[in-house]
Amino acid sequence: MNRFVIADPDKCIGCHTCEVACVVAHAGNNMFLQEESGADFYPRLTVVETGEVTAPVQCRHCEDAPCANVCPNGSITNKDDSIFINQDSCIGCKTCMLVCPYGAITMVPAHKGGQKQLQSGLRSNTAGSWSRKERIVANKCDLCEGSGNGPECVRVCPTNALQFTVPSQIEDSISRKRLASAQSLLQFGGFPHL
Amino acid sequence: MSYKDPIIHIDEQLCTGCRRCAAVCPVDAIIGEPGHPQTIDAHRCVVCGQCVQICTAYAADNESTTALRAVKLQERGQLPNVREPLFAAYSSGDIQKVKAVLADPKRFKVVQCAPAIRVSLAEEFGLPFGTLTPGKMAAALRRLKFDRIYDTNFAADVTIMEEGSELIGRVMSGERLPMFTSCCPAWVKHAETVAPELLEHLSSCKSPMQMAGALFKTYGAELDGIAPSDIFSVAVMPCTCKKFECSREEMSVNGCREVDVVITTRELASLIKDQGIDFIHLPDEPFDSPLGKYSGAGSIFGVTGGVMEAAIRTGYELITHEQIPNLQLDFVRGEEGIRTAEVQIGELELKVAVVAGLKYVDAVLAKVAEGTCPYHFIEVMACPEGCVSGGGQPKLLLETQRKIAYQARKSAVYRHDSHQKVRKSHENPDIIKLYKDFLGEPLGHTSHHLLHTKFVDRSLKEEMS
Repeated sequence: MNRFVIADPDKCIGCHTCEVACVVAHAGNNMFLQEESGADFYPRLTVVETGEVTAPVQCRHCEDAPCANVCPNGSITNKDDSIFINQDSCIGCKTCMLVCPYGAITMVPAHKGGQKQLQSGLRSNTAGSWSRKERIVANKCDLCEGSGNGPECVRVCPTNALQFTVPSQIEDSISRKRLASAQSLLQFGGFPHL
Repeated sequence: MSYKDPIIHIDEQLCTGCRRCAAVCPVDAIIGEPGHPQTIDAHRCVVCGQCVQICTAYAADNESTTALRAVKLQERGQLPNVREPLFAAYSSGDIQKVKAVLADPKRFKVVQCAPAIRVSLAEEFGLPFGTLTPGKMAAALRRLKFDRIYDTNFAADVTIMEEGSELIGRVMSGERLPMFTSCCPAWVKHAETVAPELLEHLSSCKSPMQMAGALFKTYGAELDGIAPSDIFSVAVMPCTCKKFECSREEMSVNGCREVDVVITTRELASLIKDQGIDFIHLPDEPFDSPLGKYSGAGSIFGVTGGVMEAAIRTGYELITHEQIPNLQLDFVRGEEGIRTAEVQIGELELKVAVVAGLKYVDAVLAKVAEGTCPYHFIEVMACPEGCVSGGGQPKLLLETQRKIAYQARKSAVYRHDSHQKVRKSHENPDIIKLYKDFLGEPLGHTSHHLLHTKFVDRSLKEEMS
């Protein structure tokens, strides 16, 4: 089973620390040091606020991942119990973004070494002058795979509203539920004529 | 910035009402319901900026808000080159004003830097926490076209001379004890607000920043042969409340503002970037003499316990006329909370306390009010670990970084002290010269006129009457 991070809306206070932590974990450098050309502030989870609820939403790493099923060039794969987007081969077609039922995928300019990547062929006409167009790729939660510390959003949340769920935890939870269910049968004991 | 500007603001369009700012506010000045934008009670607010440090609710830089962003940056007094997200809690900036004056060749521009700037400025350029860069900082300020690169640390040494003498006088006469330090403007504002009846317990010394400002426009002006009114005096501070302090009515000398503008560490960094200065590769350059030469004692004002340690180094020797056996006074070094110690100085057993974090001071004030406070001398700093953790310092995005950063900045402060040849304020040759040539003696007539002040009752009943 794939691992995923999920939020408890009752605990979330809407402080956006998880988003900031996500940027810090992925930007590779401090966001206060960005050069004008390389502004790179793309959190991979989004705090949603309405009158009724506050909670961050991010990729659920679906087992039958709709995004992977529709990706036309195989850039979305299952890797180490997670759904992974290969941004190097992503063509920015947005199909994954359209089918994601959680709205967890966004399109962002591709960066390498703090620099925005540009397309080799496509030119863009802005205000009468031609320039090369930046490369746009799909972006979503990768469970902070590179950090080795697990998801940063979970570590920094001041109210512990985020939980990193791994398969063994779910299995434990399921077996606890089965046990409780079995024990509840006791009160109905000895159905003599069934 | 006007006196009426509350300096600390919460942008109601961006605030999510998470109330973590309310949790760090030492004076309960942040008001509001969870989930709704918060407001600040300007009367209670001590302008320490800890809310600015903790806030993570932001508007990111994306196309749909670009126009709005430019407007907000202008409103906040920041330079347009700032690329970071706009956070809900922020402090009014004054960097546009400084940039304009720096471009004016007719003004004589003088700058001073607080002790805690040289241990944190480098973080804004990607160097590790606690990188010590006094030389690069001086070089950067020179590239920015300041005419004199002076230092608040020099005035910290002056503060020790004045405040130390004041303490000795009060202990000898047994009057107005305990004596509180008056360097931290957030603490002073808090005392004026909640305990106006105890203000005589505060040292009458101005803060080092204001002393420096007063000396620039008198002694400094004389040395350079410049009219005081032509001097534009800028202070770079780790503290947002210093903006409030410099605008206090009484902080003027012979009709001139002592400090014309205060900018924070972060504002200085943004100006250095704006001017395209390659900070990391700058050579180390010296501060200008004499108002930029300091002792190790002056440089430890940036951490909690620093003023106390510097005062004891000098006080011990002034009272006993003997060398202090150990310069590193570990019993006053520490972090958030209250630390107390008894120091044997000759026949006197000096009882001292160090308060770090303004929320701890109210218990002390209550004891003073009922006459049961046992200490002679109490240092108070509003921020958790002193100025290294001030509201104008490079912002720490995550709680996990906070402890590491404060520790690194603090050890850099102590490292700087331990590498100084002169480590006691009264042994700083330029301090000796200042008193010989200009001030006369500590607490003398000139000192009294330039370096000491009075405090104001800011309790609500006064305001309403």
